[in-house]
Amino acid sequence: MYVEFKNITKKYGTKTALNVPLWSAKPGDVIGLVGSNGAGKTTFLRLVLDLLQADTGSVLIGGKCVSNYDTWKAQTGSYLDSTFLIDFLTPLEYFKFIGTVYGFENGQVEEAIAPYTNLLPFLETEPDSGFIRELSTGNAKKVGIVSALFPGPELLVLDEPFSNLDPPSQIRLKQHIRRLALEKNMTMIISSHDLGHVTDVCSRITLLDRGVVVRDDVTSPETLSQLKHYFSS
Amino acid sequence: MWIVILSMAFYIGFTLFILGYAFDAFAFRVFPGEDPVRVVNRYLLAAFISLFFMRFLFQKTPRMKITPFLHLPISRNRLIAFFQISSLFSVHNFYPLIFFIPFWIRFVNPSQLIAGPIFWIVSVIGLLLGSHFANLILRGLLKRYQGAFYALMALFILVVVVDETTGAGVIQEASIFLFSHILAGYVSSFGLVINVVLGLAIVSTVVLKKSIKAPRWSATKKRSAPLNVVVPKKFGLTGKLIYLELLLMWRNRRPRHYLLVSGLFSSMYLILMLAAKSTIDARAFDALIGLFASGGFALNYGQLMFSWDSTYFDGLLARDIPMRTFVRAKLILLQLSCVLFFLIALPLFIWLKPELLGLHLAFLVFNAGITTVLVMELATRNRQAVDIEKSGSIFNYEGFSIRHWLWFFPTALPPTLLMAAMPNRPVTALFILAGVGTLSLLATEFWTRFFARGLTSRKYRMAQGFRFYVR
Repeated sequence: MYVEFKNITKKYGTKTALNVPLWSAKPGDVIGLVGSNGAGKTTFLRLVLDLLQADTGSVLIGGKCVSNYDTWKAQTGSYLDSTFLIDFLTPLEYFKFIGTVYGFENGQVEEAIAPYTNLLPFLETEPDSGFIRELSTGNAKKVGIVSALFPGPELLVLDEPFSNLDPPSQIRLKQHIRRLALEKNMTMIISSHDLGHVTDVCSRITLLDRGVVVRDDVTSPETLSQLKHYFSS
Repeated sequence: MWIVILSMAFYIGFTLFILGYAFDAFAFRVFPGEDPVRVVNRYLLAAFISLFFMRFLFQKTPRMKITPFLHLPISRNRLIAFFQISSLFSVHNFYPLIFFIPFWIRFVNPSQLIAGPIFWIVSVIGLLLGSHFANLILRGLLKRYQGAFYALMALFILVVVVDETTGAGVIQEASIFLFSHILAGYVSSFGLVINVVLGLAIVSTVVLKKSIKAPRWSATKKRSAPLNVVVPKKFGLTGKLIYLELLLMWRNRRPRHYLLVSGLFSSMYLILMLAAKSTIDARAFDALIGLFASGGFALNYGQLMFSWDSTYFDGLLARDIPMRTFVRAKLILLQLSCVLFFLIALPLFIWLKPELLGLHLAFLVFNAGITTVLVMELATRNRQAVDIEKSGSIFNYEGFSIRHWLWFFPTALPPTLLMAAMPNRPVTALFILAGVGTLSLLATEFWTRFFARGLTSRKYRMAQGFRFYVR
């Protein structure tokens, strides 16, 4: 799935949160979005998902402006934060609701979740684990991530997916990301503060600084040390 | 906003002052020949009961304020004492004095410097504080024992209703007896009031102490069994969204309270309204009954129709949920609620006022067609988040603004004025209301498109507003 930013600016009051004249991603790109706090990562992702209105420019998914067409939504899986979770549902009820939105039948939802159950071990040990709001922050986040993954979208948007996850889940999530990029040619935009994880799974790194893209390169063995140097200088 | 609040405060304050200072002029009209002090004494207990309900509706408790201080190296007793005392500085403890002080100076005659007038004003202030502490106790009760709370309130309302409807007037007689004795300088009556106030203060302190010691009570800890309801496929995403809204109501405290209060209105309050002998224009009063009997839930719950989803609004927007489907589900749910509450109230109309059955039916159509549309219009303009989970207290006005209060006028006035304007042709008025309602119901698809357009154009601002909410 192609994603394009054209002349995007977004201000909060007088402060420019994002200024991206041109940026694009093609099918199969796994983009790591990095930057300090307030660099504009979440604004970037919200603009992709049409949750914010840009002051100028447009975001295109599959060649169509996200704010004028809704067709991209059926092909996009996303999890930014807890505002994506309907927390008075149980995880299974939530997956079924999301499944309905993506046109799944009830039985198909269980089938689609099956590959990701290793991210949800708490559901196996305690199937009646209660509502999402009763889960720990990490487990609730896993529910959100799986809900973005299981419909098999062409575009995946995740904000800080590794934070709050236990090490086994971080490893499994990375395995899923690699597999999906390889097998499904999925485009992914993943923001993270964890440079190790992001350079590990992403094929490209977009570095934001105060709303501006200051680096946008294919990941190489040197990328991690270069990023560390950038952030420590 | 502030100008409106200040103007209202000035108006209320001025009215209370004039009412207190020139009470004889007002009392003379209603109770000619009766001593103004005796008139006030007769209604003092009832007034404190009413003031108590006002507090219960609007006054906040210090319990929530105290929590962030608990980890600090300050003794709990000192914190509790501080918050109990600081909670006294509430407008509810002061505005009644704008009436009582001028009244006391002018009519109770404190210049005599004898015990009676001093006892009287101290008792009045004491009972104000007493109702303050009683409010804190009841709110504590509500948080912990909802069933007991509702039973207690129902019993209390029943006693008041029986006292009024049977003409026993026990509350009035008790009030005259108590305050006349206090005014006459009886230490025993004065002592009784002071002891009651002190008792309430002590109990409310104990309740506050217990409430911060106990683990945080939460509906989330009560694990409800997940419902395994399969929404038939033919209802599609609309059916699924309606089911989601029903789960929202059932599993979260604040929407559940709206449901309960609407149920109470369509049953218990309706009994009072149907049984009451109205002194105001009967037709206008009937219109209000009709409006609230089947439309009470839509009026209350509907205003926050999108704010209920505020904690996961981003998640809904980012998913492939067509705006029309989203709006249609909400509109249908409100229309269905009118039918449900129509049915709940129906036996009461048959029992108490069968002559109003036509009105009840006409307002069902009006509410389902027009009231739902008006509240949806308001809901699509609301950008304030609502905490559906934490707000266990009844009548929490989070998410409401002055616009919501003012919206009541365009919603309630047209049918009320129409009914009042056609006193000799009530059936025609009802036919007009039902006709307008039917037309609007037939235009449900038009309204769906209309609200979907409005919501699409305002979704960014709404989402931005909802994000300010932090759990």
